Parts: sequence; structure tokens; C-alpha cells
Amino acid sequence: MSEKPRIGVYICHCGLNIASTVNVKEVVEYAKNLPDVIVSRDYVFMCSTPGQDLIKEDIEKYNLNRIVVAACSPSMHEPTFRAVLENAGLNKYLLEMANIREHCSWVHEDKTIATEKAKDLVRMAVAKARLLEPLKEPEFEVQPNVLVLGGGVAGMRAALELAHWGFNVYLVEKSPTLGGRAALIGWIESKRRGSDIVNAMIKGIAQNPRIHVFTNSELVNLSGFVGNFTARINVNPRYVNEKCTLCGECSLECPIDVVNEYEFGLGRRKAIFIPFKGAYPQTYVIDYRVCVKCGECLKACRYGAIDLNDKPKTLDVKVGAVVIATGYDPYRPFMGEYGYGLHKGIITLFQLERILDPEGPTHGELIIGGKVPKSIAFIMCVGSRNTTPNAKNYCSRMCCTSTIMNAIRIKEKYPDTDIFIIYKDIMTYSSDERLYEEAGKRLIKFIRFEEPPTVSVGPEGLFVNVYEITLQEEIRIPVDAIVLSVGMVPRRDLPDLITVTRVGCGTDGFIREAHLKLRPVEAPASGIFLAGAVTGPKNIIESIKMGSAAAARVTALLSKGRITVEPLTATSDKDICSGCEVCVGVCPYGAISMTEMDGKRIARVEETLCMGCGACVAACPSGAMQQKGFKDSQIMAQVVASLGGV
Amino acid sequence: MEKPKIALYWCASCGGCEESVVDLAEKVLDLINVVDIVFWPVALDFKLEDVEKLPDKSITASFINGGIRLSEHEKVVKLLRSKSQYVIAYGACSAWGGIPGLANLYERDEIFKRVYFEVPTVVNEEGILPRTYEDKNLGIKIEVTEFLPRLLPLDRVIDVDYYIPGCPPTPDVTWNAIQILLSGNLPPKGSVIGASSRALCDECPLNKTKPEKLLIKEFKRVVEITPDPEKCLLVQGLPCLGPVTRGGCGALCINAAMPCTGCFGMLDRVSDYGAKALSYLASVLDTEDEKEVEKQMEKLVDLVGRLYRYSLPASKLGGKVIKRR
Amino acid sequence: MSFEPKIVVFACNWCTYAALDLAGTSRMKYPANFRVIRVMCSGRIDPQFVLEAFKQGADGVIVAGCHPGDCHYINGNMKTLRRMTMLRKMLEDLGIEKERFRLEWISASEATKWVQVAKEMVEQIKALGPLKSKLEVMV
Repeated sequence: MSEKPRIGVYICHCGLNIASTVNVKEVVEYAKNLPDVIVSRDYVFMCSTPGQDLIKEDIEKYNLNRIVVAACSPSMHEPTFRAVLENAGLNKYLLEMANIREHCSWVHEDKTIATEKAKDLVRMAVAKARLLEPLKEPEFEVQPNVLVLGGGVAGMRAALELAHWGFNVYLVEKSPTLGGRAALIGWIESKRRGSDIVNAMIKGIAQNPRIHVFTNSELVNLSGFVGNFTARINVNPRYVNEKCTLCGECSLECPIDVVNEYEFGLGRRKAIFIPFKGAYPQTYVIDYRVCVKCGECLKACRYGAIDLNDKPKTLDVKVGAVVIATGYDPYRPFMGEYGYGLHKGIITLFQLERILDPEGPTHGELIIGGKVPKSIAFIMCVGSRNTTPNAKNYCSRMCCTSTIMNAIRIKEKYPDTDIFIIYKDIMTYSSDERLYEEAGKRLIKFIRFEEPPTVSVGPEGLFVNVYEITLQEEIRIPVDAIVLSVGMVPRRDLPDLITVTRVGCGTDGFIREAHLKLRPVEAPASGIFLAGAVTGPKNIIESIKMGSAAAARVTALLSKGRITVEPLTATSDKDICSGCEVCVGVCPYGAISMTEMDGKRIARVEETLCMGCGACVAACPSGAMQQKGFKDSQIMAQVVASLGGV
Repeated sequence: MEKPKIALYWCASCGGCEESVVDLAEKVLDLINVVDIVFWPVALDFKLEDVEKLPDKSITASFINGGIRLSEHEKVVKLLRSKSQYVIAYGACSAWGGIPGLANLYERDEIFKRVYFEVPTVVNEEGILPRTYEDKNLGIKIEVTEFLPRLLPLDRVIDVDYYIPGCPPTPDVTWNAIQILLSGNLPPKGSVIGASSRALCDECPLNKTKPEKLLIKEFKRVVEITPDPEKCLLVQGLPCLGPVTRGGCGALCINAAMPCTGCFGMLDRVSDYGAKALSYLASVLDTEDEKEVEKQMEKLVDLVGRLYRYSLPASKLGGKVIKRR
Repeated sequence: MSFEPKIVVFACNWCTYAALDLAGTSRMKYPANFRVIRVMCSGRIDPQFVLEAFKQGADGVIVAGCHPGDCHYINGNMKTLRRMTMLRKMLEDLGIEKERFRLEWISASEATKWVQVAKEMVEQIKALGPLKSKLEVMV
């Protein structure tokens, strides 16, 4: 620091809030005698206009270069007084506040003691102020483009809103079609299908020139920082172009067939296929992972829509922010879990929804395992709530509502079907409680368990065995079909995404939001936002809302064309850093990396990613890393001053 | 033209610092060609009176090693201070107290009791403790120097101009320091000279083998494993203090597959070696469970002994807090 | 005059400092023995600060931050937990009684907890007596 500190100290009365307990005049006199204090004053309300003007005038008149305000908590008025400094032409980070209200006058009764404490607090603030340095808020221009990963309802909603606000959106979807899970399963309040919502969104997206859709595509690299990311997208070949008329002749000739993931394992599809009726883009696609390039489809196509020489493409796009909305996977029971895979009559909740869908494999007829079941048991919490050793420890939120909705649907169409819901707890939250009531009215039987039920598969048929709590008896229910109400789990390929985007996941394996209360919808890393089930189980409406929220956050971030970040960041002294790397692993934001400078390998903090926690500073074994505004020397000065030193 | 005078003195030390001067080998001859050694008890026969007779500030530089443990040490270093232009604290003991500084964990009474009564091989039936012996008939009075209540680093007793780190300083570091002093281009007073301004990792050949994130699951004791000499020792679980220790020694211990124990002391921006070492080790430990932390702490065995091995007297607390009865 | 302990508190901005503010707005009363130093995260707190406080004459030190899992900076408080667990042991080995050094998790709404901790600590340290007279600082 080249200049000598010239400190102005301002003690606020805050009306009587401070002055009735702390002898303000005494504190003013005390401060006058502290080294480097040029001016020491008091005023009734420091934060008022005349109070602020007092500081401003003094700065000019006395050439002050550090200001201490002893008043209320900085959480109240630090921004106010920082603005005063700025208006007076002083860097706004040359301010230090002493909290003599919330931490002093309001919590102590003895006036002498409170006054002594106020003096100590002022002395501590002066000690730090002496060592404060002007800090510059880094400002960057941002790219007015956004990358949205995931073409499900959350991602599509975010894309539509962002495009509405004028941003260019790159909507990247791994599968060959937009729509996600809601295109195949799910209802909104038992009236509208998920696919209706999906179709409406797809229509909006197709018409919007600002939304650039990349299906069959993946994000393979993300570099840069908030406001200025570079995203590398791999576009995998479709082999089918827009000349496709959806006639389906190619599919008939294709010799390769695989399990159909769009029916959740029910049935098979060919290597050349269309995922579902409303798929977008509206063309067939060849699954490049299983295609053997036999050329049968080429021969069958009369429209010249197939090009087997289609190649993968890579493109780099510059974006200001990223929204991750890649969704979830349904929990897949392992072979034998509740008999799954051992009997055709045992299916999952997702498969049931496909069966009940008029566009599904059975055209909406309730045919499970080849026959119409006269009795069905739903087993709840499969893969959730620690019911079995391999189950996840959380509740998957949507399965109770979904199960009961489907049970009612079955009763509507097949009223004589005997339906048992074997449950641990019924979590039909909010207005979905009415479904639970209705289920009871329709004589759907609810059987409660604490120990999970077992399923017997044998020549006598299917049985569900459960220890019923109220009867305190083991009961054995013969059924024609069993539906396992499985929950939501993180996508199998989520670890790859986490590596590329450097976001973190929670203990449940879903991507973690920065802070549930203080920073929702955001990933810890700046500029990356989260929407939908990628952060944890939620239903269609909740996912859509979160997509909307993410879009709003992105808009707020990028709308001005420039962003500033608070400069209370960590910085490593290149002359001291030994390249020991201790800081890199300590940073929760991945803001620190090793770099070469003047032939030395040293740590470098990316300012835009640093959130200013200071953990790396305490960890740094050589004192090379320091936090602006919270340097070791500044804090040590406060410690010394707190115990009487200056 | 008169050669500059230098003096070397040892306080509470093991003699290793004296040996390191001798380890300069042939360079010692270069040295004595350009300087005049006026006091060096371990090697030359000058007496204290010879020093007392010298004019003030006539010794260009005094190199003092060892910690201040006895009143005798205090007396001599004060004398050398008055006679010298520059005083250099040579080695870890004079700079920060060194290994003998760990005695500051005990009161003087406890130390004496142990040394003079409790040690198994001591026979002291009359219970004699160091004391002045007087025999008026023979006209003898033998005064034993006072054992100070705490071991002090040199700079708590006299003004020190420069520090040369190490236990002992390596010949290279010693020679570097001498060059700097002879060059006339002196660094600011109070500097550590002859060594690096960065931590050991900067010159350690194993630093580049570190993975991107340093997270250690378990600390290991040196006796527990045979370390791979080509991989960073910390990554293998040995609590190497390289990151928190000044470099300049050429990573001698690392090259012998032993983790650094910190003998070159802390870096310029650090004010308490043990506290920084503790913060660093706790930071790289990969657990969020308090019980696990305690378990790993036990693997470190003796926190104070390990982390303040060379620097306890210079630490903020200086040693164990004394209980007043 | 009876002994009034001097206790330094290192408080994290988002949780503990806010709790102290809340104690103020709620006009709760507690002893005036504390001097609070604000940091953004308890993870910023270097063991060197704690030792300096004792060296300068503090009779007690509190390091306080957000509850595990609630850290504004994800897991800064976990580093604090590790560091302070080890520091507590080292302080004990150096003769500083464990009652003089506390690691507390105080969330922004826990003003009552703060007041309780404050009163408790003052009582405990009064019983132990001052540290400064015990501490022979090397000057």
C-alpha cells in the first residue's frame, strides 16, 4: 500500500437505538486517538441523506481514503455506505463497518460495559480499515446465447421462455427426438396426458427461429466461465433426412431388432425406427449403435431419404449460460426383484402406462403378460425408501399419485378387476389426496406393510405375500398381474455429464443445487442452472416450473449484456506459490487449476468461478493464496485489536 | 586490506550445524582466504576474553547456532551482538528453537526431575541437582549456568539480521548465504537467506506425479509402508510437510523416500508453522466425519511433536501453557 | 474486581453472524465478553488466527459456522470441522483446556442457541480462570 491511511470514523446514534445504551460521544473521542484516524464524528442517523453527505463532504475536505462506520449490522447498510464511498470517488471496498447495534447496544444493558465494547469494536474496524485495499469488480461482456441440455418438458420449457426473451437457444438432446419421458408416460392432474404437453411444446419450438434443436447429440466439452462458455457438441448421424415420409417401409425390411426403450422394455423395435408418433424431428432414424449397414432400408426407401454415408459432426458454440435438464431414469428392478423378469405378468409402473396408452404396444388394452388380468397387485416403493437393501434411501415423490391414478383408470375401463395396492405409506401430496379418496370409493384395496412383501412365482400362479400390520397376519394374495411402482433414479450416464460440466452430485446421486434455500435452481458453478428431475424426483408440472425458473435466472444473469462479479475472491501470489496443489482439491467450485507461468507450475484462480469462501486460503500451506478483503494480515489485525492492540 | 572478521558460536545444539560448515569441504578453504575467524569454540582456541577485547561492531558477521537454553548462551550472544555488525541465526535451533525447543512442553522442574532422578541409567542417591558449589576452605566457587525456564530462539534475546534455515543448513544453502553476504547486495533485514522463497514442492521431483485433486483418505506412518520412490509421498499417505516448508534443500529427504519433516521452517507469509501445517493436513484429509478425523489424527501420533518439531519456541504460544498454582 | 473472560468469536457471515444479528433484533441479553470477527465462511478460519487470539490474551475462542450440509459454499464448514477437531487436540496438548476452544454450528435462526452457548462459555471460563496469567508469552 503506497499511500498512508487517512481514516474517517463515523459513529451512528441510530436515534436512541444505539445512543441510549452506548455513550456515543465517548466512542467518538476514543476513536480520535487511534493511529491514522483523521476525523471522528457522530450523527443521529448515519444512513440518512444528511448522514451520508457528512461522510461524502469529509472525504473531500480531509482527503480521507478509508472509512469506518460504527452503526447497525453490515447486512443492513453495507451496500448503502459502499454507495456513499463510490459517489465520493472512493473505491467502495475501502469501507469497514463496526456492528454496535445488533451486537452491542441491543444486547447489553450496562452502559459502561456496552460503551467499552463499542470502543473495542471500533478499534477492530479501524485496524482492518488500515489494511483495506481498493478492489476492482471484474466486468465481462456475455454471450446472448444459452445451451439447454435435455429435450424433455423442463428443457423445452426453458428453451421456449429463453427464446421469448430474445436469447438464442441451443437445445441439445441425446436421443433422436425431443419429448423426454413425458412424451410416453405421465399425466397432469389426471386430465391431460404428458404427450399433449410435449406436442404443444414441440410445436412452439419447431416454429421458433431462435431455438436450434440438436437431437441425437451430446455435449462433450464445456470450457470457459460464466457469460463466456464454449460448448462442444457432437451431432451423431441420423442417416435419414427430411425427405422421409414416415411410410415405414424401411423398418419392415430391417433385419436388426432390439429391445424398445421407448416402451420401457415391452416389445422390440428395428434399428431403423421412429421413437413414437409425435417424435421431433418427424423422420425415422437409424440407431447407429446397432446398425450393421446392410443397406436393406436403402433399397426399400422410395423417397431417397436414407444416406448411409452420413457422418458425425462436431460444432463449438459460444454461450453465456447452460441449463441442465437431462432428467432421470426409471428404477430398473434387477432380475428376480419381486419376481421381475421371472414372469410375464410382473411389470413396472412405466410399462403399465405404456400399456394403457392407446398409442402403446397393446393399443390401450389392458393386456399384461398376454392376458387381461382379473386381479392386479401394485407393490409400492420399489427401489425407494430403503425398503430393500438395494433401494435408494429417498422417496420418489410421484409414484403414489401415478399408481393410484392408473389404478383408477383401470377400474374405469375394467370395473371388475380386483386391485390391491400394497403400500408402506401413501404420499399423494397436495390436491392429489383426492385420488386416494376416490380409490377407496372404487373399492381399490390398500394393504399396508412394514416389511416389504415377497412375490411367489410358481405353477399355481403369482402370489404376493405380505405381513399386514393391522391384522398382524401374513396374507397371501393370488393375482394375475403385479405392477412394481418403481421410482426415479439418476440417469446411468449422469457421471459423464458431471465430468464434462464439473457440477457436483449429492449423496443420492442426483445433481446438487448450490443451496436449497439460498441458491436453488443453480449449480454451484456460476452460469450453470438446473431444471427438472435431474436434481431429484419430481412430476411433470414441477419439472416445467423449474424449467421456467431456470429460464428466469438465466435471463436475469444475461439480460444486461455484461456481468460483474464481487471481487472478494481468492488470488494466488505467483512469486510464492510452490505448485503444491493443496488448494485445487479444497475448492468446491473447481475454480482453481494449475497453470504454467515463467517456467513454474502454479495455482490459478478463475475469478468468475470463485465464490469467495476462503477455504483455499486457510488450506494454503505457504500463505501464497489470499482472499481480497479478507487477507491474513487484515484478519490478524482484527484479532490483535480485539484484545487491546492497535 | 583487512579481511572481514567472522565469529561462530553454538548454544543449545547438537553440533550438526558446526559440521555443516565443515561439510563445505574445499569451499571452507576459499572461505578462510577471504575472512578472518575470530571466535569458533568447536574448532579454534579463541577465548571469550578475546572477543570482549574487540571493539564494538568490529566483527562483520557472527553466525550463531543453537537455541538459548542457558544463561551462559544469553550472555555470549549478547556479547557477540554488541561486537558484530550483523548477526546471523544459523540453523533451525537459533532461528526457531529447533528440536531442543520441544523441551518447552515441560517445566524446568519436570525436566530436572526426569534427567537427574528418573532416567533408568542415572544413579543419584544424594539427589543432587545443578547448583553452585562452594568450598571456602579450598577457595573454590563453581557456578553452574542457569537453566532458563524456556528455550528461546535467538531473536527473542538479541536483534537478528538474517536467518539461514535447516537442520542443519545444507552446504549449498550455507554457501549461497555466504555468497549473498559477501556480495554486499544485502536483502532486507530479517530475511531468510540462502534458501528458496517457495515451499519444497517447487523443487521436489515428485510434485508432477500428483493427481489433479489432492485428497488423502488415510495417513500412514513411515514404518507402515514401503513407499514408491517415484510417486508423491503425500499421495501415498505419508504426512509430508513439503508444502508448508521452505525449499532450498534439494529435497534430500524425499530423494531418500522419506517425507519432509519441516526443518527449513515456514515461509515468509506464514506466522505459525505448526498451525499452518495442521490446517494443510486437515484440508487434504478426505472425510466429513468427525470420528474419522480423530482416527486419522491418531495416525499422526503426536501432533505437537510432529508439526512443531523444529519451531515450538518460535510458535505463537511458544510451548506448553504454564499452570500457575 | 472479578475476572471477566475475553472471548474472541470467528463467525461466518451467512449463519452465525446472522444469528447474532437476530439476537440483537430480538433484544436478547447476553454477556458482553465477546468480540466478533466476521468472515464469509467458517472455512476461511486459519488455525493461526485462533493461536494469535490466545497469544494476544484471549481466555477463550469460538469458531462458528453453518450446520453441516447447510454451508453457503457447499462444504466450507467440513474443512472447518477437520481443522478445528485437530486444533482442539493440539491446543490440549499445549495445555489449553478444551472448554476454552469451541466449535459451534449456529444457523441464522438460532439466536437462542447463541445466547445459550455464550452464557455457558462465560461461566465455564470464569471457573477456569484467566489464560493470560498462565500463558508465558515470549516477548
